[in-house]
Amino acid sequence: MSGRGQVQFRDIVKMHGDFAALKDVSFEIKPGEFFALLGPSGSGKSTTLRILAGLDAPTSGRVFIDGKDVTSTDARDRDIAMVFQSYALYPHMTVAENISFPLEMANMPKAEISAAVKDAARKVRIDHLLDRKPGQLSGGQQQRCALARAIVRKARLFLLDEPLSNLDAKLRLETRAELKKLQRSLDVTAVYVTHDQEEAMTLADRMAVFMAGEIQQVGTPAEVFARPNSIEIAGFIGNPPMNLVPARYSNGDVIIAGHRFKTIMQASGERDVVAGIRPGALRVAPSGLSARVELVEDLGDTAVLDLDCAGTLIRVRVSDENVPREGDTISITARAQDIHLFDPTTGKRL
Amino acid sequence: MTQAATTTARDFGRVLAQRERRFAAALLAPAFLALMATTTFPLFFLIWTSAFRMDLAMPFTNGFVGFENYSVLLADERFWTSLVVSLVYTVSTVVLQVVIGLALALLVMDMKRGQGLFRLIAILPVVLSPAVVGMIWRTFMLAPEFGIVDFLAINAGLGSKNWLGDPLLAMISVIVIHTWQWTPFAFMVLLASLASLPEDIYEAARLDRATAWQRFRRITLPLLRPAIVMVIIMRTMVALTAFAAIFTVTGGGPGTATEILNLYAYRKSFTELSIGYGSALAVALLIVTILISAILFAMRRAK
Repeated sequence: MSGRGQVQFRDIVKMHGDFAALKDVSFEIKPGEFFALLGPSGSGKSTTLRILAGLDAPTSGRVFIDGKDVTSTDARDRDIAMVFQSYALYPHMTVAENISFPLEMANMPKAEISAAVKDAARKVRIDHLLDRKPGQLSGGQQQRCALARAIVRKARLFLLDEPLSNLDAKLRLETRAELKKLQRSLDVTAVYVTHDQEEAMTLADRMAVFMAGEIQQVGTPAEVFARPNSIEIAGFIGNPPMNLVPARYSNGDVIIAGHRFKTIMQASGERDVVAGIRPGALRVAPSGLSARVELVEDLGDTAVLDLDCAGTLIRVRVSDENVPREGDTISITARAQDIHLFDPTTGKRL
Repeated sequence: MTQAATTTARDFGRVLAQRERRFAAALLAPAFLALMATTTFPLFFLIWTSAFRMDLAMPFTNGFVGFENYSVLLADERFWTSLVVSLVYTVSTVVLQVVIGLALALLVMDMKRGQGLFRLIAILPVVLSPAVVGMIWRTFMLAPEFGIVDFLAINAGLGSKNWLGDPLLAMISVIVIHTWQWTPFAFMVLLASLASLPEDIYEAARLDRATAWQRFRRITLPLLRPAIVMVIIMRTMVALTAFAAIFTVTGGGPGTATEILNLYAYRKSFTELSIGYGSALAVALLIVTILISAILFAMRRAK
């Protein structure tokens, strides 16, 4: 742990005219953590990052870095490095000049600068491109240049705004893994904005899930995946997304499309609920909820089945060798601990 | 068989291309001829005339003299003075236009409201005829006692000045008038160029801890460089050949204080009526303009 780079957001509100981009957002990031801000576009995660960077000011609320109130501190005095979604490289400077720019602004001696630039470039493997201009680089190389510029100065916070979104799929996977290693080796607090739940799941130590300007859940990726707080998060995290079907709760059981599933709830009584079951948690079994196979999407090692259960669409991921064929009728079951129940009116977890 | 077919196809293509070329030439011809008649022909006629002694006051001395006009010109002190006046006028007006234009563009760029109105007002001087601008300044602005500038000078305690009668003040006045009229052009070009710069690199620079001045020096200026150089080239060529505003304001006076090379050529040709020598002066101006533009274009390509 570096012991610095601790962040606290307290009751942050950001208004754009009458529109509330952020409604009372509070969270804390621990030193050395890789923290992801996850959410669909327009959910306020980028606004949060810009407020943290000091590029935008909150309408109300306070931002603390390492215990100090920085709400009214200018971006240039916050000691923060950032990788922009657009990379924001200086187009008239070479890669070396881009990377050395933050050091020059910090009045570092010339000799130290060139050593630091080479070191940073080597870390992201662009040391052979130092004399090129950004316009002569591929998207992936530009991205690395932006990374190098951000890590060359040992800032206390390292912000990444959707850094992988402009890369092609293969490069994105490679860079994702490198990014994680880089963050570990630098031992720096990183805040990562993404709309891609897979990125957040694989990279983050902890994450905050944003929906419509509010944080719906904060926790480790495993926690959020295992116990989503609301219907929205349940539908957002996981691929394919969780099946969410209207159902009836009755004395510890839940009735879906006429079939009774056991749950871990023990409350007595009856009520309407929304039942959530991940496609991977459903099993094909000799007995259970009977369903007709509508569509088979074969992904090679697994297959995703679209099932019609008395008019309700349910998706199942199967990895067995004998994948059912379209038109077959099969039965599915799920373990009690894999069934999530939500309140249909508030959307909250029960 | 196939060979014959391809040959025919190729011939056909050639015929088509030829027909298209002819059609293009026919479309081009009227404009080309008009251009030749109004620019190229007068230019060569000017050079031709400059090889003659052609004095309307003393027609009996007329005749071919070869390069005599040019050797006279090189020894003519008034020519060198007017060349210096031209250069002073050009350098100072262009520098002022770029500096003030850039400052205004940066200022307007940060305006949240009223940008459109500002642009509209700014464009007004440019669309005025330089002759009209000259008249307005001479009468409305600079006239002793009644002109706005003189009125302000009196109220500021400087006393009434003879703005167009004093050699130094007259030079300053014509420079100010030219700058007033053409700064909006530099302003518009630089504003458009500024508006096209991406905002995110400024945010990156802020996070990289650059001060406002460093952001301007290290990012804005280098990125605006092509636009600035273009403005300098265009305005230099125009300033070197400026005429109407100075002609209407001072007529080159007092004495020869504001007599730029262009005005000297005019006075020689049409006041003193020695057209041959006037043509030589005009050719000299042409050569100076071409030389300076060549240097500027070379500088533009250098980086």
